[in-house]
Amino acid sequence: MLSNEIITADVINAATPKTKIEVKNLNFYYGESKALKDITLSLPERSVTAFIGPSGCGKSTLLRVFNRIYELYPKQRADGEVLLDGTNILDRSQDLNLLRTKIGMVFQKPTPFPMSIYENIAFGIRLYEKLTKAEMDERVEQALKRAALWTEVKDKLDASGTSLSGGQQQRLCIARTVAVKPEVILLDEPCSALDPLSTARIEELIDELQADYTIVIVTHNMQQAARVSAQTAFMYLGELIEFDKTEKIFTAPSEKRTQDYITGRFG
Amino acid sequence: MSAASSLYSRRKARNSVMMTLCVVAAGIGLAWLALILGALLWKGLAGLNLAVFTEMTPPPGEAGGLLNAIAGSVAMTVIAVVVGTPVGILAGTYMAEYGRFSKITVVVRFINDILLSAPSIIIGLFIYELMVRPMGHFSALAGAVALAMLVIPVVVRTTEDMLNLVPNALREAGTAIGAPRWIVIRSVAYRAALSGIVTGILLAVARISGETAPLLFTALNNQFWSGNLNAPMASLPVTIFQFALSPYEEWQQLAWTGALIITFTVLGLSIFARSLTGRRI
Amino acid sequence: MTLVATANSSSEGRALREREATVRRFALTDLIFRSVAKGSAILVLLILSGVAVSLVVGAWPALSKFGPAFIGTESWNPVTENFGALAPIYGTVVTSAIAILIAVPIGIGIAIFLTELCPRPLRRPIAIAVELLAGIPSIIYGIWGLFVFAPFLQRTVQPFVISVFHDVPVLNSLFAGPPYGIGMLTSALILAIMVLPFITSITKDVFDTVPAVLKESAYGVGCTTWEVMRRIVIPYTRVGIMGGVMLGLGRALGETMAVTFVIGNAHRVSASLFAPGTTISATIANEFTEADGEIYTSSLIALGLILFVMTFIILAAARYMLMRIERRAGA
Repeated sequence: MLSNEIITADVINAATPKTKIEVKNLNFYYGESKALKDITLSLPERSVTAFIGPSGCGKSTLLRVFNRIYELYPKQRADGEVLLDGTNILDRSQDLNLLRTKIGMVFQKPTPFPMSIYENIAFGIRLYEKLTKAEMDERVEQALKRAALWTEVKDKLDASGTSLSGGQQQRLCIARTVAVKPEVILLDEPCSALDPLSTARIEELIDELQADYTIVIVTHNMQQAARVSAQTAFMYLGELIEFDKTEKIFTAPSEKRTQDYITGRFG
Repeated sequence: MSAASSLYSRRKARNSVMMTLCVVAAGIGLAWLALILGALLWKGLAGLNLAVFTEMTPPPGEAGGLLNAIAGSVAMTVIAVVVGTPVGILAGTYMAEYGRFSKITVVVRFINDILLSAPSIIIGLFIYELMVRPMGHFSALAGAVALAMLVIPVVVRTTEDMLNLVPNALREAGTAIGAPRWIVIRSVAYRAALSGIVTGILLAVARISGETAPLLFTALNNQFWSGNLNAPMASLPVTIFQFALSPYEEWQQLAWTGALIITFTVLGLSIFARSLTGRRI
Repeated sequence: MTLVATANSSSEGRALREREATVRRFALTDLIFRSVAKGSAILVLLILSGVAVSLVVGAWPALSKFGPAFIGTESWNPVTENFGALAPIYGTVVTSAIAILIAVPIGIGIAIFLTELCPRPLRRPIAIAVELLAGIPSIIYGIWGLFVFAPFLQRTVQPFVISVFHDVPVLNSLFAGPPYGIGMLTSALILAIMVLPFITSITKDVFDTVPAVLKESAYGVGCTTWEVMRRIVIPYTRVGIMGGVMLGLGRALGETMAVTFVIGNAHRVSASLFAPGTTISATIANEFTEADGEIYTSSLIALGLILFVMTFIILAAARYMLMRIERRAGA
């Protein structure tokens, strides 16, 4: 019954993909230098979008605009519009903490907090929800299961998050992000510090998560983009060169620069 | 050929002479310091017995101990740490977190570094003007505040340094989950920097436990046991100062023993503090 | 179906309202924490300005009575209430200068020894020992100076030096008078021992900032160890070494307890280094609690003000130099 509903929802989405994030004429500056130039694109709900391009092309910068994490640093600013469900998140009145509960992020290097595995998950939940011990246990278990980490850590939830292997740490970070029930998950080169086996597990996980979340992944690994994403954006020197279905980008790109990049002529 | 080889041998000889001088310098430096510690052990141990820790400072010409001086030092040190540490940690936190990129941080860091090595007797004069003169009398509280003034710069410096070592990725991760800045600082940054910050506090305790000059005209001294923070209080360093310059042999002996106790406390604290982080500060 | 949707959205609405309330609370607590932290940082500035203001206020009676002549007057007479800072300033400068002259070459020598010559397993222990010694309270050096070092100088070194230089012009006035043991030179020597660990450990630190490739290329063209140090490492780190030396000088100028024990506390300017003298900090430490009368106390605080200004300038210069080399090392 329940699974039926989800399938129905998926079918509907596939038919008329609803836009989750819409970027309009976005520019981004590091001090005086312009890092993103007039970006416009829309990301459909509950699917995986990949940003690819050579290093320094602005793909990570674009990702970091979506949860305004760049606000931690001075002299970084964005103009234009980024609409999340129709609301401009670049608006001054947008509360950043609230925004970040809706848009989770996983970073290039695993960043477990200096606390136990259990606390790593519970930390984010506790910020906004008052739960009983039993409810919290339940949520932690759920999150760890969702990130395919539960069986490996269920007997050592009190162990430090840093005691896990790199791949496990990254899945812990994904579990931590999923636990606060965001709508969008941003992944900033999540596998670049991992071995091939751990990478494969994370990719599997991304595939499962797209049923419930809108996922944006930045990657320098073109095969990875081809494997996990439904649509791909190719960026170069701060510009969006081409944005289309992944299949099309990798088989019949309409831009010469995209073609050159995916065939390894530069980057 | 022979000119070149003689030039080469002259250079080599010069090198040997200079390098020998460096070894001699190291030898002199270390031997000198060894002499001081040796004398301290030799003279200090001679008077070390239980009475030192159980009896009050004696009147001239009599045997006694250092109990009230030790207790006074401990009391004032504790108050100084309790007063100075929160201020130091908060200031260091502002510099490394909220104000990392602001101009005020550059100024505070510069001023703090000057406070860090400013003569402690000046701090004594400052607290004299600030507290002793308005209150009309010397007090343990004034002594403790003077010591707190020495704690603050040490803790500010180490807190800022240690928080700066916390990777930004960790802060971003905390922020990305929706935590406000102060919770990221409290639950993530402080935890990651904990051992370093504790090291800073221990080093501050080591620093003030031997300080004499700022206590001379704030806490003054007291021959007797006193639990009154609003009255003069004995401290180990000031007692050592007074006893060492006296003509009485018993007092001089107690001064040596007190000096030994302070040195071991300070060395012990510094070694323990360093072992916590495994890196030097 | 519609019913479920409404129920859903109303519970979601409540969750959202709760979330927004939480967010508002966070904004407030964050503002409070931020303000308290910023206040603490500003308090650090206030401490230093408080020191300056309180010294000026405390010194004002003496400064307005004696004027600029205060600095140039040798007399220090509590009975007639006529005070001048010349002798303490002279003693402070001379003892610190001699201390630095002795400690700098030895300190640099030890730093070279530690970075180039010392067997590897010994490097860290010796470096740590040097740093630990920098933390030993100055009163320890004072008590050792008074009971061990001064008597030793009095019995052996001083009589010998006095007899050797007896007939040498200039030097015989530098090393004149009866061998007291305590005095200017003894203080300077104690100060030298005290600042030695500082200078050594800072010099060693700045030596470590020299890029290995620079030293390797110098060795590559056949330089001896000394030539690498003299021509490459020391010029490269000159600013940092100067910073370390200034930091040591600042410390020597303000050092109180070690000097108070062995300086002899005599308010006069004497050419002989064996003569007792005084320094600013020793004068304050010795006389402050016994000073009666406003002018006497105020004169002592005026001495403190002079010391504060001297050390502030020296320390500011030192920090500026060390900042420069840190910036370069970081770049």
